[in-house]
Amino acid sequence: MAGYLFRRFVTSLVVVLGISMVAFAMLHLISSSPGRAVLGLHASPKAVAAFNKANGYDDPIVIQYWHYLLQLLHGNLGYSYKLNQPVTSVLGENVLRSLYLSGVSLVLAILIAIPLGIYQAVRRNHLGDYIVTSGAFTLYSMPSFFLGLLLIQAFALSLKIFPPEASQSVSVIGVIEDPRAMFLPILNLVAIQVAGYSQYMRSSALDGLGQDYIRLARAKGLSQKAVLTGHLLRNSILPMITLIGLSVPALLAGNLLIETLFNYPGLGLMFYNALQNEDYPILLSYTLIAGVLTVAGNFIADVAITIADPRVRLS
Amino acid sequence: MTRVLEIEDLSTHIQLSRSVVQAVGNVNLHIDAGETLGLVGESGCGKSITGLSIMGLLPPGGKVVGGSIKLEGRELVGLPDAEMRKIRGNDIAMIFQDSSSSLNPTKTIGEQVAEPVLLHRGGSKKEAVDRAIEVLDLVGIPGAKERLSDYPHQLSGGLRQRVMIAIALSCDPKVLIADEPTTALDVTIQAQILKLLDDLKERFGMSILLITHDMGVVAGRADRVNVMYAGRMVEATGTKEIFSNMRHPYTQALLASIPRMDQDNTKTLFSIPGIPPDLTNPPPGCRFAPRCAYTKSDCQESEPSLSGSEDHVVACFHPVMDGPLKPEKMVTLSHGVRERAGEGETPLLEVIDLEKTFPVTSGAILKRKVGKVHAVSGVSLTVRRGEIFGLVGESGCGKSTLGRMIVGLERPDSGKVLLNGEDIFSLRGRTLAKKRRDLQMMFQDPYGSLDPRMRVAAILREPLSIQGVESAKDQEARSIALMREVGLPSKALERFPHEFSGGQRQRIGLARALTLNPKLIVADEPVSALDVSIRSQVLNLMKRLQVSHDMAYLVISHDLAVVKYLADRIGVMYLGKLVELARGDDLYSRAAHPYTQGLIDTIPLPDPEIERDKKKRVISGELPSPIAPPSGCRFRTRCPRAQEICAIEEPKLRTFGDQHYAACHFPLVEPLEEAASASGQTKI
Repeated sequence: MAGYLFRRFVTSLVVVLGISMVAFAMLHLISSSPGRAVLGLHASPKAVAAFNKANGYDDPIVIQYWHYLLQLLHGNLGYSYKLNQPVTSVLGENVLRSLYLSGVSLVLAILIAIPLGIYQAVRRNHLGDYIVTSGAFTLYSMPSFFLGLLLIQAFALSLKIFPPEASQSVSVIGVIEDPRAMFLPILNLVAIQVAGYSQYMRSSALDGLGQDYIRLARAKGLSQKAVLTGHLLRNSILPMITLIGLSVPALLAGNLLIETLFNYPGLGLMFYNALQNEDYPILLSYTLIAGVLTVAGNFIADVAITIADPRVRLS
Repeated sequence: MTRVLEIEDLSTHIQLSRSVVQAVGNVNLHIDAGETLGLVGESGCGKSITGLSIMGLLPPGGKVVGGSIKLEGRELVGLPDAEMRKIRGNDIAMIFQDSSSSLNPTKTIGEQVAEPVLLHRGGSKKEAVDRAIEVLDLVGIPGAKERLSDYPHQLSGGLRQRVMIAIALSCDPKVLIADEPTTALDVTIQAQILKLLDDLKERFGMSILLITHDMGVVAGRADRVNVMYAGRMVEATGTKEIFSNMRHPYTQALLASIPRMDQDNTKTLFSIPGIPPDLTNPPPGCRFAPRCAYTKSDCQESEPSLSGSEDHVVACFHPVMDGPLKPEKMVTLSHGVRERAGEGETPLLEVIDLEKTFPVTSGAILKRKVGKVHAVSGVSLTVRRGEIFGLVGESGCGKSTLGRMIVGLERPDSGKVLLNGEDIFSLRGRTLAKKRRDLQMMFQDPYGSLDPRMRVAAILREPLSIQGVESAKDQEARSIALMREVGLPSKALERFPHEFSGGQRQRIGLARALTLNPKLIVADEPVSALDVSIRSQVLNLMKRLQVSHDMAYLVISHDLAVVKYLADRIGVMYLGKLVELARGDDLYSRAAHPYTQGLIDTIPLPDPEIERDKKKRVISGELPSPIAPPSGCRFRTRCPRAQEICAIEEPKLRTFGDQHYAACHFPLVEPLEEAASASGQTKI
């Protein structure tokens, strides 16, 4: 088990290294001469060259990558000349704020979707199932920002229960302490995710309910509740684990729209602003983070699967 | 004797989205204490639904619509679920067919066995676990205590079936319902499990409802037998009576269509024409009437009810009185004379020292080879033109891998496959593709082997298009001719596979294999997914087409009776090795290898006399892992005759008669003298 995890971790590192290479190559292709970008269109070519030389931007690409990698290892993601500060400090608490928004909504979505999917499977083709499925498909086919606009219109502008803007607190603690402001963005993300997850869970639970071991569990005399929690739940969650792992980076993309819509200072909003400023170092750091999250999501899902499913416990 | 379970006039319907399946109707049965009742019938006859009705575990849409089920006088129909739950797993327990899917893959076997104990008997967890160890021990799980934390996937099929029996036994049920308890198992394991059930019944005095399609299984152990057909109970009487003095024409016909060991294989097998009725719209009158040889006009007008004496009831207006169908009364035809190649000619197919291993890897990403599965280890055989060669053995013996290599679907590690003297693995690209038309395959699963999105016409024409033979018009004419040959209407060409029954699909599979006029068809378990009455139809068809198309078959099967009926010569495989090879009659009358004899002994025969007298020479143990096969003779770990030399030296094939070879140090019959053996050894 430990050996398997270690090998799996090493391969993950190799993939991350590859991602960093691609990210760096892209940065180099788009902006190979940061001097021009920093000094402006009117700067003399000589001054640009001097700037590039002083900052090592005229070295061969391999050397530059090496320096970039060393910087990465020290947690340095580069320098945003547009904002005139290191990328790391721009990211700063944005990362934590995004993590809070994504994490809370992911956990809530899973906690709602799993029982909902099982309920639907048990009540298959009954009224309750039809209602939930219709709702899920409506939400699933709706662009996330459109749902956000509806929520803002209904709860913030018409009913005035919640503020139209997410918490603007600079610190994460401040954000956590302001659940009223975070209610709508979290609701928005949860609703969209529950729509997808519950339908996967429904079909997975339906598969499970048709299995012989469910019949055997009933033949033992177990109650419906004991059959569902004791025998169905764990088996039906297995396919969900991989799915959730794979959708971690998608969450980041979802945040992009929601954070912009609710003006929430997270990674998504940062990316959106960097896009408008053509701030490449920040954009590529975001890409790198997305890549790392993808790998991490997969890794976590794999580990979770080996814990949850005895058949894949590898020596 | 006390009556434990009594069912009267049970009717169960299953509501589908647009129709209602009248799965069970007017079923009567009873089981006394300590009795084994066999409930037999073909798939879809309602025998399993009867069992599930008793348990109150009907599939979605299923409902008992009439009748009563009484357990020791207590009515179960209409009992609230909370009450029924106290009976399930406690008073009545059930075991199912497929142990690989019936155990929860994410729970340890200890948890799964202890669960009903905790539920029904209460007490502490420790007590439940102790009981689990006790019953696991009882069902013959070696080292039960140590295996509590094993997961189902870590056990073999036979052990899993034992665990399922342990779950059923854990609360000392009064009635055990065993629904096809051994159908998914190999014959040697089947014999062990059946013996276990017999022993347990003896020890604890339970009553057993044994649901099975296999007349051989009931012959050996049931006290009484109830026969079902199309949702109806058609006959019920003592086991001996049902085999020797049956009254219902269906029982008679069913027993007659089972290929027997002493079957004359030059004649067609008796078969019941047609297929069972559609239970969403059953015919009025007797449900067997459309297929019955004794039917008269009144059979179609009203339905016969069960009548007769206390110990023999039958639902028929015109019961048969003359016992089993006499051979002279069966309409059997000669299969026609096959032209078989002589001994001197070049054989059609020559398999020389074929070897195949599959790597065993560990790790998900960085796959490392940790061993190899020895699937086929040095097998040689020949198939002559016009011959049917049978290959038997238990699952995992390598017979399917061998078949796949012969048609070129799998590349051997070493060895040759010669077709008319030409090595098919020396061919590449176009010439190999061309050669493939001579080698075709017929598969076991009539559901999985036909593309569900292709019409039958497209399925039959595809091989012709690939081989670039014939114009579109000729292809069509050919498909129509093929359909006629396999006994299907040409209209059926426009239909999709799911619109056919299993037997019809197997006919389509045979037609597909025939399109290119192959010289050899490798048929991998061609009839094992089919019911008895349908199976004999397909077997007859296979024999007839072999003659008319002048081809050879290599028939792979675990069912010795089927192989005996089809094949001229039979090879027996064990763990990747060919252990014996002989003409069918020789193999059965004077088997040389203990494994062959063991296999023959363990087949349940549909004859209570033989089954009960049979000395239960059960082959002990289970198939060793093919990753590390035993040294010397691979069968020695389970062989009653094994001695020291068997572990050291691998036995060579020796000659035991004309075309009879076996590889054993201590054969059951004397081999011919060594000189003859040596010369015969290479030329099999």
